[in-house]
Amino acid sequence: MATQEGAVRTFDLSLVTPEGAAFEGEAEMLIVPGAAGEIGILARHAPLVAMLKAGEIRVKAGGQWQAFAAGPGYFKVQQDRALVLVDDAVRAEEIDVEEARRELAEARALLERVDAGEAEIDRWQLEQRLRHAENKLAVAGRD
Amino acid sequence: MATVQDIKRRLRSVRNTRKITKAMELVAAAKLRRAEARIAALRPYAERMRELMIGTARATPSRGFPLLEAREDLRSVAILPLTGDRGLAGAFNAQIVRRALQLEREVRAGGADVRWVVAGKKGRSTLRFRRYAIEQAWVDFTDRPTYADAVAISHKLAELFTGREVDRVVMVYNHYVSPLTQTVSVEDVLPIPRTLLEEEEKSAYEIALEGDFIYEPEPEEILARLLPTYLETTVYRALLESAASEHGARMTAMRNASKNAGELIDSLTLDMNRARQSEITQEILEVVAGADALTQ
Repeated sequence: MATQEGAVRTFDLSLVTPEGAAFEGEAEMLIVPGAAGEIGILARHAPLVAMLKAGEIRVKAGGQWQAFAAGPGYFKVQQDRALVLVDDAVRAEEIDVEEARRELAEARALLERVDAGEAEIDRWQLEQRLRHAENKLAVAGRD
Repeated sequence: MATVQDIKRRLRSVRNTRKITKAMELVAAAKLRRAEARIAALRPYAERMRELMIGTARATPSRGFPLLEAREDLRSVAILPLTGDRGLAGAFNAQIVRRALQLEREVRAGGADVRWVVAGKKGRSTLRFRRYAIEQAWVDFTDRPTYADAVAISHKLAELFTGREVDRVVMVYNHYVSPLTQTVSVEDVLPIPRTLLEEEEKSAYEIALEGDFIYEPEPEEILARLLPTYLETTVYRALLESAASEHGARMTAMRNASKNAGELIDSLTLDMNRARQSEITQEILEVVAGADALTQ
């Protein structure tokens, strides 16, 4: 069989949040923010389960890169089926900068109260929220 | 007998009421459709979350996670009723509170203490009125709950449970069946039942086919984070179902109210026509009697 030059292998990708799917379809490459560092995925990746921190998820589909600002979650790939479960994912071009700024200010204020011992909120979750808001701003700023 | 004026006034007021109930019915119907769509949107996430949890649990021999710890000696039980922020929704709020109070009596009869945590203004005010101490209340979102609301509630529940302040957490909410039917459900949310981590029948062949996963970080660590996420998903699903049930209940209640108003309008119109007719008859009689008196 004559393999065509530039024919790229693809894999199935579902990027799912509690509010519904943010991306569903064939992808050529995926980059997710793993807890220990970024993970790049191509077709035929070995089975992997990973924990994701809030960050930027990048998907290459049809030769185009798309960026999502995503909350913390989980990642699984197996037999060319990749699954990203995150608690929130916003497309880079749909980010509301004003809202992100407000979330950031709110999370910072809460964090200060936690450090002062006034509020009992899980620090880890709060840090993730903070990073998510910062991340939305960072992803939005790039465009 | 009421005069035509009196009946007219009542008719106008009933017509206005019907306009309001009709509008509320339409609003509830629109909100219900949106709430149903959100339940449908959550389903794939929830299902895949569970699959992931089962797979990760299979790779982890350890079951020593705080949220899984089933305690023999129940000293204290937290009850979480999910109610709405507003009334005018038929028995929606009342049936939740009634079931929760019944549960409280059962728990107390079993010798355990009860701690109240509640979602929705209606539940909060009823419990306050009855002078129950409320640990924490979450309000102002039951119409349209977000995932962040579920995170806030789950966090408090996990904190109460792992801090050994309560040994069991039970949620009472309206399970959404259809726009016309909601059933009150009582669901144990903590400890997370271990059976959940055991998978349905899967052959060794299927498991082998899935291959060996690389876990990053260790499966224990992932599972320790997955369990609270699962709790959030459970609470979020219940919040969404409760919201859909509330809109469904309000739609039905307002439809009945509109129907009753329609019947009332019909019967009042009949009364009014009758009253007008008898007034006219009366006047004719008076005119005829007057004319008779003159000719004599």
